[in-house]
Amino acid sequence: MATAPELLPYSRIREDLFRPLTGVSRNYLRATLAALVIGAAGLVAWSYQLRRGMGVTGLQRPVFWGFYIVDFVFWIGISHAGTLISAILRLTDASWRKPVTRAAEAITVFALMIGGMFPIIHLGRAWLFYWLLPYPNARLIWPNFRSPLLWDLTAIVTYMTGSVIYLYLPLIPDVAQLAESNKTWRRVIYRALSLGWTGSDREWHALERAMKLMACIILAVAVSVHTVVAWDFSMALAPMWHSTIFGPYFVAGAIFSGIAALLLVMATLRKILHLELYLTRRHFNNLAKLLLLMSLLWLYFTMAENLTVWYGNEPKEMAVFGARTRAHYAPYFWAMVVLNFVIPFVLLGVRRLRTIGNATIASVCVLAGMWLERFVIVVPTLGNPRLPSAASLYAPTWVEIAITAATFAAMVMMYLVFSKLFPIIAVWEFKPHPEEDE
Amino acid sequence: MERRWGMAIDLDRCTGCEACVVACHAENNLPISSPDQAAKGRTDHWIRVDRYYEGEFPDVKVKFMPVLCQHCDEAPCEPVCPVYATYHNPEGLNVQVYNRCVGTFYCANNCPYTVRYFNWFAPEWPEPLQLQHNPDVAVRAAGVMEKCTFCVQRIKRSKQDAAQAGRPLADGEVQPACVQSCPAEAMVFGDLNDPDSKVSRLAQNGRATRLLEELGTKPKVFYLQKAK
Amino acid sequence: MYLIGEFREKEAVRAAIQALRAGGSNSVDLDLFSEEPVEFPRGVLDRPSRMSLAAVAGAAVCGLLATAFVYWTQHNYRIVTGGMPVFSFWATGVITYEMTMLGAIVSTFSWFLWESGLIRRRDRSAPVPVVDPGSICLRVRCRVEDAARTSEAMSRAGAIGIERRGA
Repeated sequence: MATAPELLPYSRIREDLFRPLTGVSRNYLRATLAALVIGAAGLVAWSYQLRRGMGVTGLQRPVFWGFYIVDFVFWIGISHAGTLISAILRLTDASWRKPVTRAAEAITVFALMIGGMFPIIHLGRAWLFYWLLPYPNARLIWPNFRSPLLWDLTAIVTYMTGSVIYLYLPLIPDVAQLAESNKTWRRVIYRALSLGWTGSDREWHALERAMKLMACIILAVAVSVHTVVAWDFSMALAPMWHSTIFGPYFVAGAIFSGIAALLLVMATLRKILHLELYLTRRHFNNLAKLLLLMSLLWLYFTMAENLTVWYGNEPKEMAVFGARTRAHYAPYFWAMVVLNFVIPFVLLGVRRLRTIGNATIASVCVLAGMWLERFVIVVPTLGNPRLPSAASLYAPTWVEIAITAATFAAMVMMYLVFSKLFPIIAVWEFKPHPEEDE
Repeated sequence: MERRWGMAIDLDRCTGCEACVVACHAENNLPISSPDQAAKGRTDHWIRVDRYYEGEFPDVKVKFMPVLCQHCDEAPCEPVCPVYATYHNPEGLNVQVYNRCVGTFYCANNCPYTVRYFNWFAPEWPEPLQLQHNPDVAVRAAGVMEKCTFCVQRIKRSKQDAAQAGRPLADGEVQPACVQSCPAEAMVFGDLNDPDSKVSRLAQNGRATRLLEELGTKPKVFYLQKAK
Repeated sequence: MYLIGEFREKEAVRAAIQALRAGGSNSVDLDLFSEEPVEFPRGVLDRPSRMSLAAVAGAAVCGLLATAFVYWTQHNYRIVTGGMPVFSFWATGVITYEMTMLGAIVSTFSWFLWESGLIRRRDRSAPVPVVDPGSICLRVRCRVEDAARTSEAMSRAGAIGIERRGA
């Protein structure tokens, strides 16, 4: 099945995909300004928090983890976009993934950078965060490797290293081409990054082998990263946290939110950069079907967790369950179900409704729903501890909201910069091979 | 043999007067909350009196118990601190090292008794309470977790006094502030490893139970249930 | 000296390579240049690789080192555990796993840099052809006396242009 780009000459493809790198449009400047303003607000909020203390947030005993941890889990979840598309689809040789891989890998790296900030932001004494690192010191103290937070640290460092390398590897051939076709400061950067790539078959073979290996490794790491993040909760004794399902639940949820983020980013890029020929209805159809599949998987896990708690009727867990489904947090819980399952099921399950626009709407709903899911997991449990006298509610303050908003702005900002430096579709990978089956 | 500090609280004697709470504040330099911070739930009481109301007026029953750090022998708060700010000392105390705490909050989330308290802001005392600070106890900075220490400063002081006098520590010589101030003498503190100490004998009492025992935390505070 | 032949068809390149190897050229002397990876069936132009081995070896080494690090430092720094074991394999197993993976990642990337030739000392005299989009360039290193024969083999296979460089 030939799609339009195969009929285009190579030079046209290269021109189309390299064009966005030059020049900035008015909308680009507006987006940059908006992102900078919101980002600045977040920085102001954080510096206020650093100066005054964590009391400026809405946290209180016993809800010691709030928005920041929700954001942390959310962003690490988004980072699974690249893993699924690049790694799994690469391993299964699904060729439709080709225009989508670099955007996905970029989402992964940026989401990890943002998510990795939150363990620092949420600290009571954030300026001492480096005490979690094992470095020789004269005070005879050492971090505690048995703590799930240390596991988080190693997992995220590993995943970040792997993702950056995984993003960089397929970038090398494109950067080599850009080095040839550019002048001035760009040429210097591209030349340095291309490491002298000449396009010889030795280099290509090594690259493809490395990519295949990295795909396997990254997949293993990604599964472990979100499992470890989930274990921050399930290793604790808190009611409805101490659940064995959390590992797989969070990984499935991460892939779910990752695909939604990817779909949204692809739809946006397609519109803004006029990539209609390259990101076709077929790609969105496939992504939409994947999103639907993950929505059903998410529903299965959510049902499994909540049904077993409800049936078991253990008092401490039922207090949390009641808070989630009937009492104070019920609006968020049921909104989550609607956003994560009902809307995507309708918009993506009904063939006639599965358009690019509707898929984008479904993705936005899923992103909101997954954020709510993290919230509904973290806060009601903490608000209903085992000794009921300590129970309380939680509401965020402007500080937490500003910092949360700033992270979205940071994501947009990083993407804006990235799209001006590198082609968002891997040019070399995209050139269709005439012999290849599709 | 090493000591293992424990406490027994007789709920039959406890009147819920909260003298223990006030004494703890005075002894341990606890910060005072402002009214709006208290409304946000940010009060700091290393020992608190939990109250539960049963029934409707006029048949209301109030159940109350003083809850403090249980100094669990298998404390769930200890393995989860990434910087080792909370650890189990050889005398059985669960120790919080203020200087080391970076404020990850994990210990507080894992404590089933919710007895850990956080310094949300730099501590403040309305005049003239800042003149009443105990010089034996550190003042904690903002961003640090804290909780009951079984008045470790008093334990240290008594051990030093006994060592200087060349005699062993007597049972009942160490009294945390709450134990000392209880007008009903409902609280007893001592060495659980000494079979003759008052607290060991009370721990064997038929009325003795522990909070949330089924979790396997091995708490060292024994609550003597009210006689029916 | 070097001969660079430009081809438009993958099959032509394959025929050229097979002809050249039959004529006595080594795969060491042959290099393809293209803007996208060119796949041939096995036996045409194989480049043996030890990358998987490097990845596994790097992973094992890093995993062992990390576990040893955790074990030794936890003992050396005399952490107080109140009766719990000082080193607990399962409690720190995640760290072993992640560091194993990090070892695999780093060794794969390092091996790639070396095997591709990107960080090796380059042979400056070897000319790098500028490849037009859609073309594949085959560069042969041969002795001056074989130049004519090599050149003819390439044209017969379907080269659209042949360049001489070097001596």
